[in-house]
Amino acid sequence: MLNAIDKQVLKEVADLEGIPKGAYNIRKNGKLLGREVSASINIETNEKGDGIIIDIKPGTVNESVHIPVILSRAGLHDTVYNTFIVGEGSDVTIIAGCGIHCGGKESEGHSGIHEFQIRAGAKVRYVEKHIAIGDGTGRRILNPTTKVFMAENSQVEMELTQLGGVDEARRYNEAVIGPGAVLIVTERVMTEKDQRAESKNEIELAGTDSKANIVSRSVIKDDSSQDFYVNLTAKAKCYGHIECDAIIMGNGINQTVPALRALHPDAEMTHEASIGKIANDQLMKLMTLGLDYDAAVNRIIQGFLR
Amino acid sequence: MLELKNILFRTPESDAGAQSPAGRTIIHDLSFTFESGGFYAITGPNGSGKTTLAKLIMGINELTSGKIIFNGSDISNLPIHERSMAGIVYGFQHPARFKGTTFRDLLSVATGSDDEEKLVEIISRVGICSLDFLDKPVDSKLSGGEIKKIELATVIARNPKVAIYDEPDTGIDLWTIGPMVELLRREQKENKTTTIVVSHNKSFLEAADTLLLIRDGKIAYSGNLAGAVPILEDLSVCTFNELCQGEANAQCYR
Repeated sequence: MLNAIDKQVLKEVADLEGIPKGAYNIRKNGKLLGREVSASINIETNEKGDGIIIDIKPGTVNESVHIPVILSRAGLHDTVYNTFIVGEGSDVTIIAGCGIHCGGKESEGHSGIHEFQIRAGAKVRYVEKHIAIGDGTGRRILNPTTKVFMAENSQVEMELTQLGGVDEARRYNEAVIGPGAVLIVTERVMTEKDQRAESKNEIELAGTDSKANIVSRSVIKDDSSQDFYVNLTAKAKCYGHIECDAIIMGNGINQTVPALRALHPDAEMTHEASIGKIANDQLMKLMTLGLDYDAAVNRIIQGFLR
Repeated sequence: MLELKNILFRTPESDAGAQSPAGRTIIHDLSFTFESGGFYAITGPNGSGKTTLAKLIMGINELTSGKIIFNGSDISNLPIHERSMAGIVYGFQHPARFKGTTFRDLLSVATGSDDEEKLVEIISRVGICSLDFLDKPVDSKLSGGEIKKIELATVIARNPKVAIYDEPDTGIDLWTIGPMVELLRREQKENKTTTIVVSHNKSFLEAADTLLLIRDGKIAYSGNLAGAVPILEDLSVCTFNELCQGEANAQCYR
């Protein structure tokens, strides 16, 4: 049964009004709250009992699987290891994410490790949203890890979002991209107060004609800080691009470190990075359209983090 | 209707070392009245103060002294957005490029509405045929011409009483300038928009009812184009003759 807090968390994390349709696995406070499988998507607990295996049959198209995590018990630090096997030629959406509701003084945290085995020609959209709510003073900690192994001609689009509420976040993304495969990562992080967020990315363009596009959008408010590192390594004829932009507001600080490493003569790699305050010409434009300063700032940030 | 009374603009001391030396007077004690529904072109040599004058009306630059009266109210101290709410809108020469913000977002802000029909009506009014354009991010991937069309559309979308366009033809191809002049003319006629265009382009100078020639921060001439021609021709004489040895000299300063 879902209580009011569970429902609120599910709404924010996975845009769910209740129990989702299709395959799902809802984990709450380190335990299984509910699971449903479909004819093409099987979910079972792994041998060690520290996570689940989501097995998507080859050729599964237009299906989605929800695997949200709810954390609402003070003092709990939950770690989980989930494996996704996405069969050949399938086209699916995976909605993951974790919502913390903190009502006490003790800290709460979740470390989710997601490993993806993407078979040839498969197409995956992975949406992961992290939120933290509640009146408690305990620190809310989220340390997600993703490891993506992509076979030939597969495509993975990852949308990783954390918009406020999380006190500490350490993200680690790793990907090995096979021949003709395409990886698109878009990370959006907003920190405020004294929150800290770090994102480390190790992306390997391993196969001929593999492609990667890594986009990071950071908004750093108040006294918060964010660090973003990406190592894009080319080991074949490939194309890779990194685009990272950070907007600093208040006393926020940021390190953005994009690295391109071409270990193959036919690698084509580019990056663009920027750190700064909101551009004055953008503010002026919106103010000439009738918005006051604060409303203009909000609009710009909204678009930036979309 | 829009009255500039002895306006003066001097670059603030804090700007020293930026673009222009501190304490330099850009607009000198300038007075002029724009009549309601008129089409005005502001022209003059580079650095004469045309854009500064336009920005003073919008409130992007703050007056050093003088007054701006709009429909009987003193707007000299109003911030930009309040001038916009009063009916003054500004089209930038080099429009801002955003990340993530789309044309639809800007039009929604301009009209205060998300209504699809209303937005479509505006883009057809400004002659943008493709609906796909609405969801394009207004970012660095747009061409110079595309972003200027978007800029124009956002100004018109506000149904302004006074529309100021700073060099609307920058980045626009020759074949688009005619329709653009027609569009501004139509907006002026049908909606009684007082239109002020900062431009060097002959098409806009010809379209204007009144031409303001600015030189060294002052109005050197105001009136019709015919009267301005002798002064304009005089201005077009190169003043760097001693340095510049004709077209072959790459160091021509003009």
